[in-house]
Amino acid sequence: MKLASPATIPDAHDDSVWTATWVPGTDGSPPLLLTGSLDETVRLWDPNNLSCLQTNTGHCLGVVSVAAHPSGRIAASASIDSFIRVFDVSTNKTIATLEAPPSEVWQLKFSPDGTTLAAAGGGSASVKLWDTAEWQLIATLSIPRPEASKPSDKSSNKKFVLSVAWSPNGRQIACGSMDGTISIFDVARAKFLYHLEGHCMPVRSLVYSPAYQDQRVLFSASDDGYVHVYDADGKTLITSMSGHASWVLSVDVSHDGTALATGSSDKTVRLWDLKMRAATQILSNHSDQVWSVAFGPPGRIDPRTCLLASVSDDKSLAFYQYS
Amino acid sequence: MTMEDEGEALRRRLEESLDLHPDDPSLHFDLGLLLWEKGEKSKAAELFVKSAKLNPENGVAFRYLGDYYAHFSADSQRAHKCYQRAVALNPDDSYAGEGICDLLDQGGKESLQIAVCLEATQKSPRAFWAFRRLGFLQLHQKKWSEAVQNLQHAIRGYPACADLWEALGLAYQRLGMFTAAIKSYGRAIELEDTRIFALVESGNISMMLGTFRKGIEHFRQALQVSSLDVAAHYGLASSLLGLAKECINLGAFRWGASLLEEASEVTVEIMSLAGNISCIWKLHGDIQLLYAKSFPWMENAWGLEIDQRTLIDSIMSWKKKCSVAAVSACRSYQRALHLAPWEANLYIDIGLASDLGFFSEENHKEGLNSWSLSEKMCLGSLLLEGENSEYWVALGCLSNHNVLRQHALIRGLQLDISLAVSWAFLGKLYRHEGKRQLGQLAFDRARSIDPSLALPWAGMSADADVRNLKSDEAYECCLQAMQILPVAEFQIGLAKLALNSTHLTSSEVFRAIRQALQRAPHYPESHNLNGLVCEARTDYESAIVSFRLARSVMSSSGNYSKSSLKDVSMNLARSLCKAGKANEAFQECEELKKEGQLEPEGLQMYALCLWQLGRNDVALSAARKLASSILSLEPSLAGASTSLICSLMFFISGLDSAITSILKMPKQLFQSSKVYFTVFAIHALDQSSQLESIVSSCSYSVVSSEDISSMHFLLALGKLVKHASKNHLGIQKGIHHLRRALHLHPNSSVIRNLLGYLLVCSREWNDVHVATRCSGVELYDRKEDDFLKSGFEILGAGAISCYTTGRINKKILFSTCREQGLFERDPILQLQRYLHQEPWNHNGRYLLILNYIQKVRKERFPQHLCAVLQRLIHVALSNPLYLRPETSNEYKKFQLLLCVAEVCLQSGNYIDCLQHARSASMLQLPGGCLFYAHLLLCRAFALQDNLVSLTKEYMRCLELKTDCHVGWVCLKMIECQYKLLADATVLALCFEECSKEIKSTSNMWSAVYNLVQGLFAAKMKDFGAAEGFLSRACSLAGDESCLFFCHGTICMELARQQRDSHFLSLAIRSLKKARETSPRTLPVVSLLLAQAEGSLGNKAKWEKNLHDEWLSWSPETRPAEIYFQMHLLSQRHRDSSQNPLRWILQAIHLNPSCHRYWKVLLNVNG
Repeated sequence: MKLASPATIPDAHDDSVWTATWVPGTDGSPPLLLTGSLDETVRLWDPNNLSCLQTNTGHCLGVVSVAAHPSGRIAASASIDSFIRVFDVSTNKTIATLEAPPSEVWQLKFSPDGTTLAAAGGGSASVKLWDTAEWQLIATLSIPRPEASKPSDKSSNKKFVLSVAWSPNGRQIACGSMDGTISIFDVARAKFLYHLEGHCMPVRSLVYSPAYQDQRVLFSASDDGYVHVYDADGKTLITSMSGHASWVLSVDVSHDGTALATGSSDKTVRLWDLKMRAATQILSNHSDQVWSVAFGPPGRIDPRTCLLASVSDDKSLAFYQYS
Repeated sequence: MTMEDEGEALRRRLEESLDLHPDDPSLHFDLGLLLWEKGEKSKAAELFVKSAKLNPENGVAFRYLGDYYAHFSADSQRAHKCYQRAVALNPDDSYAGEGICDLLDQGGKESLQIAVCLEATQKSPRAFWAFRRLGFLQLHQKKWSEAVQNLQHAIRGYPACADLWEALGLAYQRLGMFTAAIKSYGRAIELEDTRIFALVESGNISMMLGTFRKGIEHFRQALQVSSLDVAAHYGLASSLLGLAKECINLGAFRWGASLLEEASEVTVEIMSLAGNISCIWKLHGDIQLLYAKSFPWMENAWGLEIDQRTLIDSIMSWKKKCSVAAVSACRSYQRALHLAPWEANLYIDIGLASDLGFFSEENHKEGLNSWSLSEKMCLGSLLLEGENSEYWVALGCLSNHNVLRQHALIRGLQLDISLAVSWAFLGKLYRHEGKRQLGQLAFDRARSIDPSLALPWAGMSADADVRNLKSDEAYECCLQAMQILPVAEFQIGLAKLALNSTHLTSSEVFRAIRQALQRAPHYPESHNLNGLVCEARTDYESAIVSFRLARSVMSSSGNYSKSSLKDVSMNLARSLCKAGKANEAFQECEELKKEGQLEPEGLQMYALCLWQLGRNDVALSAARKLASSILSLEPSLAGASTSLICSLMFFISGLDSAITSILKMPKQLFQSSKVYFTVFAIHALDQSSQLESIVSSCSYSVVSSEDISSMHFLLALGKLVKHASKNHLGIQKGIHHLRRALHLHPNSSVIRNLLGYLLVCSREWNDVHVATRCSGVELYDRKEDDFLKSGFEILGAGAISCYTTGRINKKILFSTCREQGLFERDPILQLQRYLHQEPWNHNGRYLLILNYIQKVRKERFPQHLCAVLQRLIHVALSNPLYLRPETSNEYKKFQLLLCVAEVCLQSGNYIDCLQHARSASMLQLPGGCLFYAHLLLCRAFALQDNLVSLTKEYMRCLELKTDCHVGWVCLKMIECQYKLLADATVLALCFEECSKEIKSTSNMWSAVYNLVQGLFAAKMKDFGAAEGFLSRACSLAGDESCLFFCHGTICMELARQQRDSHFLSLAIRSLKKARETSPRTLPVVSLLLAQAEGSLGNKAKWEKNLHDEWLSWSPETRPAEIYFQMHLLSQRHRDSSQNPLRWILQAIHLNPSCHRYWKVLLNVNG
């Protein structure tokens, strides 16, 4: 496996780019990349000719997360003041505005079937779920507080929820907290199941393996510099991979479940071979911390290849060919 | 006409033609064909014969004849000949070809078939039928590579023939070309998804290649097609087993177990289909054996109180489950052996399974003879296959007799010298017997042969002392072993090696110990180590639980030494202490004390607990006891004890007694840097510097740069305390010290940030600017201590306190502030980055809000930004953090309330504004802060024209007083504006008092105060008084352009009113000064100057200044007046490029409401 040399867009945004996600292709359009930045805009990119198709404004503070609906038609973006804007990808028409108290929305993810939008609930120590038909808040999955402590700032701060991920079958949600624990929820029963432990610093990114036999495998990236591989059903830490010199800010897995890409504060993007449990490639084309990496859908011509996108504090956006 | 009639007609026509031309072969043939189709075969055959006789080149006729003979007259001889003729005439004729081959096949003449096909293929490359037939035949004869060629050729003719693809797949598979085989099978499945053979075979290949996940998929698909297929079942079970092995090798025991359960169910299903196949029983045995070896202990959520019974029960049930699986494995192997007693490896399997089973049940049955069961079974294998080296190794592992073991292993090596496993076990055996040199050699041998074997690595790390390995290297070796094979022994070893090193908090160790717990819950050390790992990761609650579990396991098994029990108790006490449960920790210590096992380390804890519980006397006596033994301790422990004693002394009996006891202590104790810091901190607090000699004599112990910056940190804090006046810390002294320190250590972020923090706290003019400059904003400086402020916080605080910082809209504002452009980037953006990095940080959010209000203020409170701000503040205020009565939180709440009140005020919502400001004024804060709440109330009442309440609030402000000049200046403004109190001296007095605290820059504040007074005087049209105030202000602050500017303007006005040239020259002087001191070109100044100079009659200067004025505006911001003035200039120079008329028109265009411009326009035109 290999990442081919990147095609970089140097000043993709006016300021740090914090988040990126792929919008699946529809009948009318190929897969596109959506990015969000501190400059309060969300931009849509065509990876084929590296052009910006659209710039969406409307947020009052930096955009911390963007998420795309599996249909590829709608997407959502959230900013630091916790407004979630749901919009039509092609027309940029606002479909809904979801509001939560500031600090109570961080990462967004649509469920695999597209019926629910999950948001890492930040300081509320929970994951919030909105249904995508009526855009109503349908559930709040709270992380139970430790029995001993009283509701003070320390404990709720510790459980600040930064990241969220759906299992490929849509039955489970994992969320990562500031104290390094990962909490697993049963979505149908809206019930907390258990914690996965092992990180000792904030968990900023989570992703389940999409490969059919590995749907219980969860990857996590944390500020402690490790990438962990968990058996989410078996509550077990399977592997820990180290190599980044600083925080690991983002992790994504290729569609066949064999490769992992991570972005880090050490300004590099790493490609990991999961069989070897080691980094096979280190790309240092960014000049500042890399906030997000995202594997695109498999290529139309050769389904074994796809694009990887990375965005960074250096305002740039890079595409790599993964094969 | 019906079809039949048509046929009849055709027949009649043909018969008639035949009568006319009896020698035409084609007519014979056509009629024959017609009859053949009608079913009159024999008549047709006759016609065909005739046709063939007339035209022997007509292959089709021969084909029909062949068919007739083959199927209707059963004359295979003739049929053969006819077909042969047909094929000879047209080798592409697949029907005839198939016919002849079928005939030959029936006759069992395979070689003839091949010959026919070969002939056809040689004759025509398009004889695909022949290629296909040939390919199948060759496949049948196991001529794989020839078959591949022919099949490939045949596929060109029949690309959608699943049989061909399947056959090609098989050929490839047999040739060992697995990927090609999988592709071919895949094509066959694509064409027909019920191809069970292709599915099963591709599953088998996937399994062979180790891609069990693919294998499982294929077998599942096969089972969907045929749910009773034994091969598919078997394949599925073994793929599941393979995947489970993979998982278990990663340490995912639960995943593995669930896969094994599934696999076991599948095998049970096959047994009901075919119970007499040995290999299925063997597979079931394998599955059960692995299950027994990997089934994890389910860790319950143990509460704080551990029920020993439950724990033991859970461990027992786990053991039981493992042993049941082992027994079941043994039974399955026995059945397999019963079915196929000639399979030597089954004996070994039984041996292995029974060994494990007995281990689990822990009952060694002494048999009739000295041979153990597993040993005997091994011998069974060896009797059948004595030359198999692996069997010898198995014997070597399973035997109980060391001599026999050694013999077996060496025998294995004799058979295969490069048998790494054998070397490894030999190494283990030697090590066990104490022959470490030999053991090492054996391990090294094994490792060099096969580095992917775990045991030699483990052996290497175990021999670290003999091999002179560093502890890190030993750790790496053990890690390697554990990663190859995650067994509990290696994992516990890894955790042990990580103790006392930085690895203890690493993920590897955490993972290792958690996995070890799943497989060795009956082993107290795994719980103990788990506790230590949790403790190192500051998860004290879990650590406490683990230590208690460890103790429970120990006491239930009963054969553990007192010292190890004591160690666990010590660990428990320490964790309890760290978790802040002093009471429980104390009880643990008491227990230890009763046992007489309270050694120095325990004593330390004991003293600490006692102190935390408030039993100071006992704590001190414990400390004394500790002190008495201090010299006999090893250095690190002695150092810790000394620090503890010093701190306890300080906290319990105060500074002086701590100092006296430090003075009494022997000096060599202070040599470690940690002790030194304790002493140093006490020294920093001491006004009389009694510890000077000790501190200076031991300062050499501080070497590292980190320690040096910490020392400066302490020194600066000491200065703050030592030079404090009654209400204020000696901040300036601290700043002074830190500046020097920073010069020495310019890259110490600790010093930088403290300096920045102190500068922000300081009330000197301009210090805030410096603060934001001196503390570097590092992205990843995570502070561990709440006391240390990060660069971001200083930046945020500095940016708030300085109105002019940040990205100013330069088109609109002309700032006279000297310190501009300090921020490379907007602080609001910087703070957002900070918040993005640490979103849980309330402080960051708070600073962002405050900065945001500055931005909103700069943009004059636009509606939408106000809305965002209000939302941010409301939510921030609802944070439970602000419900707790802590001064810092109260203060933040106060600030936020003031902000929201200000926003309400600006958007005209006075009721809310009053409400927020009132609730702010109710908070428990010093008067100096509450002052501002009342100030805001003043402003709100003033806007409502409520003079009574305004006066009341004003008086309240005067009562409360503030120690900030800005507050007084604002109050003064309100006073002046609403003419509140005639007696201005009260305020002036307060202001003076306030200035005392600030030394170097208090003049500046007086100047501002005068400025305000002057401006109000000007507003009241009392320009004489205004000039007086402003000139005083100018003399107080020598280099503030804005003061000079104001002064100059007032002077101009005075000059205009009084027509006094003295004021004109004053104005010129001040305006020039203003221009000189301003950091950038100020607008209007030059215009005024031009006017002044013009009034004095100096035309050249007037012109020059007007030009300057023109240049001091950016093109898009120039007001109408400038254009108008420029018209004057261009009127003077008739030759200038632009027509004066145009200037006037431009001025009117910008400001059409000014009559003056219109008038001039009329004049010019007129």
